[in-house]
Amino acid sequence: MSVQSYQLSDYLEKLPGTTFRKLYQQPSTAFAIFRRMLPPLAKVFVRAMLYMPGPFPLAQIDLWVKPEAKLHRERALSVLRSLHIITITPAGKDRPQEVHLTTNFAKSFRMVLEGNGDHNSFGVPSTVPVDPTVTVTFLDRYARKKWEDILHYVVNSVEGGGHGSGSGPKASVKELLVNGHLVERNPNGVGIAITQAGFTFLLQEANAQVWTLLLLWLEAVDHRPAAADTKASESIDMLAFLFTLAFTELGQAYDTQALPESRRAMLPALIDFGLLYIPRDTRQYFPTRLATTLTSSASALRSVSAGFAAATADATHDATSIGTAASDNTKGSVFIETNFRIYCYTQSPLQIAVLALFTNMKVRLPGLVTGRLKRESVRRAFNYGITADQIIAYLVAHAHEHMVRTAAAQGTPVLPSTVVDQIRLWQLETERMAHAPGFLFKEFDSFEEYDGMARYAEEIGVLQWRNDKNGTFFVTKVEQLRDYLKSRKK
Amino acid sequence: MPRVIRGTLITCEPAIKSIIMHINAENNNEIVIEDLDDTHLLIKESKIYDLKRLLDLRLKETLKVEAPLDDSD
Repeated sequence: MSVQSYQLSDYLEKLPGTTFRKLYQQPSTAFAIFRRMLPPLAKVFVRAMLYMPGPFPLAQIDLWVKPEAKLHRERALSVLRSLHIITITPAGKDRPQEVHLTTNFAKSFRMVLEGNGDHNSFGVPSTVPVDPTVTVTFLDRYARKKWEDILHYVVNSVEGGGHGSGSGPKASVKELLVNGHLVERNPNGVGIAITQAGFTFLLQEANAQVWTLLLLWLEAVDHRPAAADTKASESIDMLAFLFTLAFTELGQAYDTQALPESRRAMLPALIDFGLLYIPRDTRQYFPTRLATTLTSSASALRSVSAGFAAATADATHDATSIGTAASDNTKGSVFIETNFRIYCYTQSPLQIAVLALFTNMKVRLPGLVTGRLKRESVRRAFNYGITADQIIAYLVAHAHEHMVRTAAAQGTPVLPSTVVDQIRLWQLETERMAHAPGFLFKEFDSFEEYDGMARYAEEIGVLQWRNDKNGTFFVTKVEQLRDYLKSRKK
Repeated sequence: MPRVIRGTLITCEPAIKSIIMHINAENNNEIVIEDLDDTHLLIKESKIYDLKRLLDLRLKETLKVEAPLDDSD
């Protein structure tokens, strides 16, 4: 329904196998992918197979999994395959299918666990004395300032008034936002306007926002005119460096001299994003919270609302509080009444602009804005590609302390249920039809062939609809089914 | 060997489906690829936004919007 913003998993899925082989040469990458991208069952498989000397018969994996969990097993294997962590030999007549971990991944992962090897892939701490003014608080404030500048730039474009020079983000960052279609230059050349993708971006939690921007950056490098082979390896190395940063420690200084030339060239851009802080005239870099939490969330596949749930759970000290919570205090400041009125104690233009995306704003006083959720205002937000869940999650995440406390005392949800239900109903009104892009399969030679394939599609989780009477079914992805067809033909 | 057709699957109520078929007929049958069953249609991927817009227009004509809450502040 909405315009999905760009996620790490989508980016990785598009990379070819050779790229993965190079990526996995670096232990921190292997570990980051394991930690962030895999569902729990897939992690179990990897850990079990890690120290196996040879390939492992696929049928044996069935013994580890309860028959009811077959669906999970197939999904886990399909994720592992698409990330090139395992390879499965094609079925032959005389020998069964075998599974093994890809060499580079297994080697790097063992290195992580055993802590051996001289790979420096977790960053090299600086030995030079550290400036005592660079504290964790300082870094947090610095990162928040940088990141809010970027968000402000996007939000200000809502009113159509292009942000002047001032304290906005660097020109390179602006260029990136334009190229990533988060904002668009107005046709008359004056100012910029936000796009649907930009709205989705604004309502994401900080971690997802950071990744969206970083991936745009990687793509920009990919599209730069240069020799094809050098730029491919360049973006791989950049991605690998990001994974390295994800394992660095907040408040620790790292040595820039230990970085190869190509990675040192990335530093200025990372400073612009607020991921790094580099004091003047030193050879040290400090990763900020935005960088160190890159891969720390449980899963990259979580939805925006789950992201918000996580954000509310530990909003006081997590990086997520840097992002959309733009108020000076990290606590929530929004009241919602059962009559759809909204009061928000804030001075932040960022927060007001975000609220104005789906609220009919009425009064703005020093330190307080009031407004009302209306059918038109919420529908306007839907038109921008914002979903009901995103709005609800945003309101929950930013609800005022008093609302949270009262709700907890009475054992009720934070938001009035009338409001939540109505927002959902408004969305249903706009969803008279659901749609999903994909592929229709039809005209099978036999019912058995149809049934077998439809079942397989269901197991790997791509089946959307099937009609046994006509022998047709619809799937969202076709690659694995093509392999399946090929293997059946042999 | 099965045939594979690329497209977008639409899931909706039968009433909405008949409106979509009507819109399709008005647009030289350029939207729908295949009528799958009472609640499903396969349409051209490129036409989804056109269809959404046309459907919204059509629903606006036919649906009555509930009276707005009285706003007294």
